[in-house]
Amino acid sequence: MLQQIHFALSDSAHRVLVQLASLLPGVIALLLAVLILSVIGWGVSAALRRILQSARFDERLSRNNAGTSLTDWSPSNSPTLLVTRIVFWAFIVVGIIIGLSAFDASYATNSSMEVFMLPYLTHSVGAIVLLFAGTLIARFLARSVLIGAVNARLQYARFLSLGVKWLVFVLTGAMVLDHIGVGGAIVELAFGILFGGIVLTLALAIGLGSRDLVSRSLERSADRLDSNPLDPAYTTTGPEPRETLRHF
Amino acid sequence: MASTQIAMEANPSAHPGGPGLLVSLASMPASALPAMLSNLAVAFPGQNITVATPEISTVPDSGGIASLRLVGYTPAAAAQGAWVLTAADYLNTFQLAREHHAGLSLMLGAEAQSLSPQALRNLAAALGSGNDLAVPHYTLRPREGLVNAALLYPVTRALFGAAPRFPLAIDFGLSFRAVEHLATTAQRFTSAGQDDAVVWPVAEAAAAGLSIAEVEAGERVLPQPPQADLNSLLGEIAGSFFAEIDTRATFWQRSRIAPGSAFTQLALDHTEAPPDVRPMLDSFRNAYTNLHEIWSLILPPNSLLGLKRLSLTPVPNFRMPDDLWARIVYDFTLAWRLRTINRGHLLGALTPLYLAWVASHLLLTSGSEAGHMEPERHIQELARVFETDKAYLVSRWRWPDRFNP
Repeated sequence: MLQQIHFALSDSAHRVLVQLASLLPGVIALLLAVLILSVIGWGVSAALRRILQSARFDERLSRNNAGTSLTDWSPSNSPTLLVTRIVFWAFIVVGIIIGLSAFDASYATNSSMEVFMLPYLTHSVGAIVLLFAGTLIARFLARSVLIGAVNARLQYARFLSLGVKWLVFVLTGAMVLDHIGVGGAIVELAFGILFGGIVLTLALAIGLGSRDLVSRSLERSADRLDSNPLDPAYTTTGPEPRETLRHF
Repeated sequence: MASTQIAMEANPSAHPGGPGLLVSLASMPASALPAMLSNLAVAFPGQNITVATPEISTVPDSGGIASLRLVGYTPAAAAQGAWVLTAADYLNTFQLAREHHAGLSLMLGAEAQSLSPQALRNLAAALGSGNDLAVPHYTLRPREGLVNAALLYPVTRALFGAAPRFPLAIDFGLSFRAVEHLATTAQRFTSAGQDDAVVWPVAEAAAAGLSIAEVEAGERVLPQPPQADLNSLLGEIAGSFFAEIDTRATFWQRSRIAPGSAFTQLALDHTEAPPDVRPMLDSFRNAYTNLHEIWSLILPPNSLLGLKRLSLTPVPNFRMPDDLWARIVYDFTLAWRLRTINRGHLLGALTPLYLAWVASHLLLTSGSEAGHMEPERHIQELARVFETDKAYLVSRWRWPDRFNP
């Protein structure tokens, strides 16, 4: 009996070690592909940077409107830097794809490891991109909502901004999990509950908190005597005589 | 008027475009045009004046304006939302000046019919005496033109060494040299699709070494922008101004400081009721609670401390120190250049601080008890503080990463 247990354990350990050993060439191929393509990408982006700098790419772009908006989105205001970074990361992504296909080829077609590992590895790249984009969008929208709400004199501006940020985070999280195939129906269900909950909370908060805003708006349309300092022709509301404040 | 005529006739070579005077009118309603033309006829009787208007078909047949030579024109580029002069207007005026051999041009913006004949004569006279750019000094109520007072005038004076009290002027007098130069710059804006660039002519003229004169223009109805939202308007004006400062950095880091405006504004009537500034201060306090995190990316700790003190100050004692406002404006200018945060967010975060300055200015300049001062005196003092603090901006502009308490 003990001998049989010992045999079963050693056989299992042997099989796992063999599987891991057979995984090694694929992993090394993946790493090598990423490394080589990173070096090539670095070289190409360095050459491209020199070419663009000598062609005064940034200055040419800043002369037209489309270029100005591109400059706005570029790191350190430099479209050259943006282009070279895109090229560099494109090479790395290509390296990962090549590595993954090498990883795939290093397996026998009937290997069970391939069935589990490959979908995660291939989809993880897309998931990382989704996560990155989602975080950026959440931050941008949260700030936009915060500033807009403060300038609209809403007292619950921070709450609104947080709500929008978490809406985008929850959406991003659900998309990432769905993309890498984790959770299945549970993620969809949880996402639906969370998203709906946040939207309902925000709707209630805005509905209850905006009573003053709505009444002010109605008063303004009733007699145009508003006390909103954000109106360029803001009228001060002291005793007579009234005087209009003109910002321009 | 007489001096203008004499100067132009005595020395026509001084005006390379030709001996004539061109008056370029912005688009205006048909009902306003007769008043405008009669003002021009009174201002320049019997002179060789060419008046260009896009509404030539609506000009009435009247003997009073027979001395004016009216020409129509189709704007070369559409001047959208024309409450201030846009780049397209400079292009149109340059083309008209070239076509009609005009050595001197007056560009008159919307509601120009409210300008007195004397103001028109003053603009032309300043050009006739050899200046390139004549900028009108309007007589406004103390609570009008606050963006000019808080931001445009003190910064233009401190950085560009140009003293005109209204850099965001709606009318200009231009020599042929000036209109040619400004049209070249305007061409760059229109070809780049930057129709929102409005606060650049005075800075451009100063940087190009054109002589600038400020002339008394009296009272004028200021055209109001079509948008009803201060956030977007302030963002548009401040964005255009910050972009101009960024573009002209090499000039203003070396430019000298100009003497202040030679004119005075209307004194405040002390019988007027003090304004209700509570909504503005509520807006500022709400912003302090919520935007502190964003402000801390732009402003140094010292300015944040000043804002904290302000947020706790009761309404009657609310005073934003001039040096704090100057630092805030300079730090926002720097953040615009460095793109510390998204530029739309940056300009949005400036609005509550501007409202706090307006509230402080109104409280300081209202009432008659000790400690209060005339609005214009406060604005001139503010401009001097901006000049004193210019070294701070130059230093931070050159070494933005240096420790700044």
